[in-house]
Amino acid sequence: MTQILPNFSSSVKLKYVKLGYQYLVNHILTFLLIPIMLGILLEILRLGPEEILLLWNSLHFDLVQVLCSSFLVIFIATVYFMSKPRSIYLVDYSCYKPPVTCRVPFSAFMEHSRLNLKENPKSVDFQMRILERSGLGEETCLPPAIHYIPPAPTMETARGEAEVVIFSAIDSLMEKTGIRPKDIDILIVNCSLFSPTPSLSAMVVNKYKLRSNIKSFNLSGMGCSAGLISIDLARDLLQVHPNSYALVISTEIITPNYYKGSERAMLLPNCLFRMGGAAILLSNKRRDSVRAKYKLVHVVRIHKGPDDKAYRCVYEQEDPEGKVGINLSKDLMVIAGEALKSNITTIGPLVLPASEQLLFLFTLIGRKMFNAKWKPYIPDFKQAFEHFCIHAGGRAVIDELQKNLHLSAEHVEASRMTLHRFGNTSSSSLWYEMSYIEAKGRMKKGDRVWQIAFGSGFKCNSAVWKCNRTMKTPTDGPWQDCIDRYPMHIPEIVKL
Amino acid sequence: MEPVMVVMCAICLLFFLYQLYKLSEERRNQCCYLVHYECHKPSDDRKLNTKFCGDIIARNKNLGRQEYKFLLRAIVSSGIGEETYGPRNIIECRENSPTLEDGILEMDEVLIDTLDKLFRKTGVSPQDIDVLVVNVSSFASVPSLTSRIINRYKMRDDVKSFNLSGMGCSGSLISLSLVQNILKSYKNAFAVVVASESIGPNWYSGNDKSMMLTNCLFRSGGCSFLLTNKRAFRTRAKLRLKCLVRTHLGASDEAHTCCMQKEDDQGRFGFYLGKNLPKTATLAFIKNITGIAPKVLPLKELIRYIVMKYLGKTATLNLKAGIDHFCLHPGGQAVIEEIRKNLGLSEKDVEPSRMTLHRFGNTSSSSLWYVLGYMEAKKRLKKGDNVWMISFGSGFKCNSCVWEVLRDLEDGNVWGDMIDQYPPKTTANPYMEQYGWVNQETFEPSAAV
Repeated sequence: MTQILPNFSSSVKLKYVKLGYQYLVNHILTFLLIPIMLGILLEILRLGPEEILLLWNSLHFDLVQVLCSSFLVIFIATVYFMSKPRSIYLVDYSCYKPPVTCRVPFSAFMEHSRLNLKENPKSVDFQMRILERSGLGEETCLPPAIHYIPPAPTMETARGEAEVVIFSAIDSLMEKTGIRPKDIDILIVNCSLFSPTPSLSAMVVNKYKLRSNIKSFNLSGMGCSAGLISIDLARDLLQVHPNSYALVISTEIITPNYYKGSERAMLLPNCLFRMGGAAILLSNKRRDSVRAKYKLVHVVRIHKGPDDKAYRCVYEQEDPEGKVGINLSKDLMVIAGEALKSNITTIGPLVLPASEQLLFLFTLIGRKMFNAKWKPYIPDFKQAFEHFCIHAGGRAVIDELQKNLHLSAEHVEASRMTLHRFGNTSSSSLWYEMSYIEAKGRMKKGDRVWQIAFGSGFKCNSAVWKCNRTMKTPTDGPWQDCIDRYPMHIPEIVKL
Repeated sequence: MEPVMVVMCAICLLFFLYQLYKLSEERRNQCCYLVHYECHKPSDDRKLNTKFCGDIIARNKNLGRQEYKFLLRAIVSSGIGEETYGPRNIIECRENSPTLEDGILEMDEVLIDTLDKLFRKTGVSPQDIDVLVVNVSSFASVPSLTSRIINRYKMRDDVKSFNLSGMGCSGSLISLSLVQNILKSYKNAFAVVVASESIGPNWYSGNDKSMMLTNCLFRSGGCSFLLTNKRAFRTRAKLRLKCLVRTHLGASDEAHTCCMQKEDDQGRFGFYLGKNLPKTATLAFIKNITGIAPKVLPLKELIRYIVMKYLGKTATLNLKAGIDHFCLHPGGQAVIEEIRKNLGLSEKDVEPSRMTLHRFGNTSSSSLWYVLGYMEAKKRLKKGDNVWMISFGSGFKCNSCVWEVLRDLEDGNVWGDMIDQYPPKTTANPYMEQYGWVNQETFEPSAAV
């Protein structure tokens, strides 16, 4: 993935030329406007004050004409503002912090694994190898039912986990925002693998005594990218219902889905998925534009379902013993890369500055007309975003995206540290990463954040947020007590 | 300067009028039209009759004499006929050990059958679909059913797909509400909704009475329907959505726990129906009617009702003043009878629901569409009629919507040729004599069977 002129790519002079070019193209309007304004100013100075007064008096302004034109101008302005899509603000969000008692350090995990899979030492070795290279830390958490030997998942304990995670997140969110349960108009809950009847959304309505005309939706089966699907749905609903609050809850309930068999490909999720959840409050009220943390700019959803390989790469199935688990295929990374490319192609034109788009267009034309051997130009997304939140699916995913998008270690730091501290919490991991960036004091007003998540099916969804106000440290959130230990160096392999 | 001012004013005026026109066009394009719906009729080898049900119950080692009697009584007096359909794993006597494959295959049959027919009959290609909503209450797979559909029909990669679950028997109206909201923001869009229920993997094999009823009442079925907001489809569409009201009683603990999935004392998984279910349903129903009546009844009727109430006389809302056809969720004989009494409806009004219950059983969220199909096959739906759909769901929800019929409808759909056999002379269970002993308090089963 080299640039157009590979020989000079490391040259410092070219870097400054590129910077100058970017500055010129992105501020072209300013550059054009300045000479025009100067021209007008000179003209005015040349005319002199008396001539200007003469010019002014010669214009006959009839009262009726003045009224008509001002009336029309006001009306057009009103119609324009009314027909604009409503701005969606993220008022605040809150992530669930599991208690210390649920921690699963490597030693505990391996001991449980050895006891549960007594007859399959090869599977135990496999789990150990995965854990060594996973990028997870010693403080990730699993729900209480999984700490039993063998794990004891029942409907009761699964509901218990859901209640603890979701209610803690919502309680903390309500405290932060001061919102009352009766104010919530839209409720969306997404949890991929646990969908009891009555739904988790009904459970939330019951606990917080939400209004009876609430629009509640319960999404399930949509994988790790379900959080962004819920945000997309909330945005569509908020466009239609003015002056509303939408509460989005993203979580993954681990209890019923712990794989109890010994097939290796299906043991992988056991090693990576951990307990977590997030509650997000969105609003389209104008007065929230002051206190909101972020403004939603774009959401892009790409579904690679039509391709059979992509469809089967994350698949729930029964192993030879009849135990249900999720099978992750070996070409997951390749498919993720393809899906990401499609997503970038859609989101690129929406967010990239004009300079990058022109360069991309230029190389595209060049490849088509002159020389097909020119390497395709990968737009520099660092120009479009200040912060990146890549779903902490696993170390391999983060490495792959860092390589594909030419990101520096600091850009992917939030993802890596979230994977280390909380593990793969599925759809809520994006919010832990946002929280990390805020806790580090790096989020300033006007910063743009890009959230990317992948999901089964195969989906690649991304959302673009713009920071609405600078966030001062220390922030409250799941990183409150440990942010000073981060960033830490995570070795390639942790010897167990 | 005069002509310049005039020209400027004219331009401004034209621009302003154009903006108004665009706004009004948007408002008009927000209508939600139902182009076509397709209900699933499983193959004949999946028919379940009372004798078969009796055999299944007898096979279950966990059930004693009392439970056997209770279940048979429920089946015989449920209003469910002899030709309803069950999932394959139950027909093949594997009800206690459903595999993941069984669940997926059950869903596949519904999806493939209904979606193939839907796309063929409407002439809309899967690549034109912008929104896809799948709603199956107790089935969640990875990847989701929406992904399965997108994979099979090779839909576009920017299709908005949503997989709802856990929403109970009112799932199809919730999906409809979701689509209605999305169609308000997007122009010229097509949406497909698939509603079904997964029966096979959720069979209850224990002996808790409050959890056994679902085994008797729910049957296999499903439907999919195509919605759009394109004005060009107005002539081809069947129905137009006038209003939709959702009521959620989850705030009350009693309502929330009256039907829920749980494990019984032995750890067996099943669906619990509480004794206060009818009462909760009535409460939710009343609240929902309070919401929808003002939107659909003529002013005269509303004024009459308010005046009667003010004068202190007992007054019932005459829903028939604004609604011509009633699509009641066929949850069971008791539910239909209760609603009929409360609303003062005639036998003819509830006939479609009763017949659907008889022929197809309670197919959960898709059952409303079988009821609609009955009305259409009987050629009762004429242009300008109002159709009211109401359904209940766990949580506790009551959702209802009102459709306006856009043209005289005559499609035979899933009822096809058998529509002429309905209503039959009697819907009493033909095995009443054989199993009628269950209704007696004291009995000797060995003497009767």
